[in-house]
Amino acid sequence: MPLLEIKDLTHFFGGLRAVHKFHTRIEPGEIRGLIGPNGAGKTTVFNLTTGVYKPTQGQILFDGQDITGKPPHEIGRLGISRTYQNLRLWGNLTALDNVKIAFYGRIRYGLLGAFFGLRGRSEEERRIDREARELMALLGIEQYADMVVSGLPYGIQRKVEMARALATRPKLLLLDEPTAGMTPAEMEETMEFVLYIRKTFNLTIWLIEHKMRFVMGLCRWIQVLNFGEIIAEGTPEEVQNNPEVIRAYLGTAVT
Amino acid sequence: MQQTSTPSRFGSLYGRIRARFQDVPISAWLVGMLAAVLVEALIGRDLAYMLGLGNLPSFFGLSLIFKKWTLIPSIVVFIVVVYVLPALGAVYLVRWAMHRWRGARSVAWVQRIPTRGYIIFNLAFVYVVLHFWAASSDYRLLVLRLLGVNIILTLSLNLVNGWMGEFSVSVAGFMAVGAYVSSVLMVWGFVNDDVFGPAVFPEAWAPYAFPLALIVAGAVTAFTALAVAIPSFRTRGDYLAIITLAYLFIVKSSIENIDFLGGARGFMNQPKVADSLLVVFLWTVLAVWVMHNYVTSTLGKATSAVRDNEPAAEMMTVNTRKVKMVAFLTHAFWSGVAGGLYAHIVGYINPGSFGLVKSAEILGMLYLGGLNSVTGSVLGTVLFTLLSEILRPLKLVKWMVIPVILIVVMIKRPRGLLGFQEIRLPFLERRARAEEEVSHAPAGD
Amino acid sequence: MSQVAQQLFNALQWGSFYALIALGYSMVYSILMLFNFAHGDVFMVATYIGYFVATLLLGLALSGSLPLSGVAVFVLTLLLTMFLASFIGIAVERVAYRPLRDAPRASAAITGLMVGIFLETLVLYLLGASRRNFPTLIEVNTFELGPVQVTNLKVLTIVLAVVLMVLLHLFIRKTKVGMAMRAMSYDYAVIPLMGVPLDLIIAFTFALGSALAGAAGVLFGMAYPVLDPYMGVLIGWKAFVAAILGGRGSILGAVAGGFLLGFIEILVAAVLTSTMRDLVAYSIVLLILTFRPYGLFGEEHSVRLRL
Repeated sequence: MPLLEIKDLTHFFGGLRAVHKFHTRIEPGEIRGLIGPNGAGKTTVFNLTTGVYKPTQGQILFDGQDITGKPPHEIGRLGISRTYQNLRLWGNLTALDNVKIAFYGRIRYGLLGAFFGLRGRSEEERRIDREARELMALLGIEQYADMVVSGLPYGIQRKVEMARALATRPKLLLLDEPTAGMTPAEMEETMEFVLYIRKTFNLTIWLIEHKMRFVMGLCRWIQVLNFGEIIAEGTPEEVQNNPEVIRAYLGTAVT
Repeated sequence: MQQTSTPSRFGSLYGRIRARFQDVPISAWLVGMLAAVLVEALIGRDLAYMLGLGNLPSFFGLSLIFKKWTLIPSIVVFIVVVYVLPALGAVYLVRWAMHRWRGARSVAWVQRIPTRGYIIFNLAFVYVVLHFWAASSDYRLLVLRLLGVNIILTLSLNLVNGWMGEFSVSVAGFMAVGAYVSSVLMVWGFVNDDVFGPAVFPEAWAPYAFPLALIVAGAVTAFTALAVAIPSFRTRGDYLAIITLAYLFIVKSSIENIDFLGGARGFMNQPKVADSLLVVFLWTVLAVWVMHNYVTSTLGKATSAVRDNEPAAEMMTVNTRKVKMVAFLTHAFWSGVAGGLYAHIVGYINPGSFGLVKSAEILGMLYLGGLNSVTGSVLGTVLFTLLSEILRPLKLVKWMVIPVILIVVMIKRPRGLLGFQEIRLPFLERRARAEEEVSHAPAGD
Repeated sequence: MSQVAQQLFNALQWGSFYALIALGYSMVYSILMLFNFAHGDVFMVATYIGYFVATLLLGLALSGSLPLSGVAVFVLTLLLTMFLASFIGIAVERVAYRPLRDAPRASAAITGLMVGIFLETLVLYLLGASRRNFPTLIEVNTFELGPVQVTNLKVLTIVLAVVLMVLLHLFIRKTKVGMAMRAMSYDYAVIPLMGVPLDLIIAFTFALGSALAGAAGVLFGMAYPVLDPYMGVLIGWKAFVAAILGGRGSILGAVAGGFLLGFIEILVAAVLTSTMRDLVAYSIVLLILTFRPYGLFGEEHSVRLRL
């Protein structure tokens, strides 16, 4: 059974068709790539999958469960998490708090606990604190835990965002251009990092990326989106040599 | 927490003072304050008379500066002799004593009191100091009780304006709902009134029913706050600010149009159930404790995540609607409770006392103290109140001086005195950490 | 029928006051993305300025030192008040907003509120609690317009308000400064790169809004001659609500919102009692904003709206 299955996904913004009949099947443990020129609708597909928008049409099944139209916090709880193209950290909070808040869906005390500090709250807080710090240690950023996140270097912020995404204990992790603004050397490092977290956290990964080297190095199967429609899919080699894809990237003038 | 603002002169002075007295436990300060209060009670009146200050000044004689500036030397002498010397003397005495009997059993026993008990002990101490201080005049008692009310209001507003990052101005409206609901309940139950008929219950029960009336008032206020909380799901920022403004005007205007509440003439005859400092003190402590608990819990910190980036919070499993709802309703509940306390302290309310001016005043306290800070809210309220009392002799000009002071503070420290920072008590923190280690190390948890 | 038309005129008159003041809120918002919370009090101060200018000019005219006709006194009062009021706006910007341009917006809102309180107290302090009466500049005549009885003052208010709005529109569309303002409402950050003097344009926007508030002040003073220092709180905040109702930062929205609020209020006062006016008016505002959270002319997706 695939972990994520999307059928016939179509979405309109007003009169504008952003995504048209998108479909995919992602198997557990896979690293899947989604590529396409700017404005092709890749991020929209991610937003539809995570419930940011309600799709105009189509069905999204995650882990055998229909999640179409569910709010993001429920989808997050079911096991999908993501990072953003432009970092979306909670800038006024410490790195540790950024990670801890992502435990929200699994906090085992209620409002009464929060307000009155009833039994169980401090124990639960200690558990969250410990697990969050462990997670940060696994990603090698534990020394930044108590610093306000907006003051950290960009690369560290990216890792904090990753730690935050992992703190929800996802089965499926969506990465939206994880190497945006990176040098080639940093990109290599990120490739290894993605493989590392997949192994450590037993993840399935679906990523959007522009850098071909990155996608080719990680994914077995790639889908190419242009104007909201899948124009090609296949192995990296097949996609790379597909004339449709070349045309989409380089423009029609070349042909 | 990082010091996010650039270090200013204020900051370094604060740092220097803190470094000097870092190892002085809170109790030592409280002993010092108690000493000052007792000295005042013993010789304050006579000394004030001798120095030509007239009767015992209510607020350290500072307001007398504005009456007659030639009194300044006398005021300085008065403050030093009555407050500074006894307080510092007591602090140094306690410090010396702690040093002298470092290993003694009694000291060790004090240090073994669990943190929670230690905090309760200190709070009781604070109450004792305030009680003695307020004993000398009804005016001080009134100001202290209103201070408690304002602390509740400011902190609860901070939840929405600070932690959640909205700009709510409806605090006076919430206060009005709480004030009227609790007043109606108490008058109906315990007072022979023209409108509400004879008392339903024996008058002696009133003090015990008062907390219940406050809770009901808070709950009703929270319910009406749905009018603000529900639109907050869809809109943020300026529009929500207008909705809170509309709420404020609607409440005020509704009360003016309801005859049995007295309309614009107001409502009085509240039973005297908030005359003692203790009642207000306990409610204030409860409110601060509860809200402090919330904002330091991971559940409550999610409020700030909603402020900093709502879509990301939603994706990271935070139920943003619930978070917004809790923030608004908590703000409304406690503002309602504060309103109820206010009504029974003052003993007379009218719609005019819950206008935009009241909201602006609370906003002033909040932004003076700083957003996202429990201690900041308390500090801001205390400073604002103190300032307001000291400047009282200026009458009208006071309301030109206070805005100017606030403008200057905002320009110099745009995030307020303690924005996104807390006053830290190293002594207490060390203690709590030690306790944590002791109780959890053996379990290998 | 004539009753309805009568109320219509009242609504238009109040709508004119609201719209003129609301424009000040909207223009500042479209450029700085913050509401000038002191604007209501700028209107109040402007009305007092109008009072002094009018009294002075009228005195000079009556004593014969200045050969001015009644109409000339009015026109001069209006222009001088607008001119002087614009300096209040500039001063407010300089004190409350410029030092806080990079600070959190809420802090700027607080300084704005504080400047407002300061101005109210200052006027109260300087002039005492006794209320001032705005001098009669134009003899109020009632005349028949079809079946409706209207006063020349109401017609004058409405016509002048419309003329000022058209002038403002032309100014924003046709002049270089207007173009700079429009550009700023699109993108604040790149403006200095384009060689536009940022501080100057912002100060000018405050001046323009305050001048309009000054015009509203003179017209208001003539229609409702009793002035008090808290009039800015009452009328200013309603104009603020009108600006929001229309859609923040939109000129058309401010005008539409102003007239809409005028209509709502007059309607409520006519159908129910006048004590219910605020209650119903604000309830409608609450409902509109609950169901159209971005105002009548605001759009959800464009954060900055067009001037």
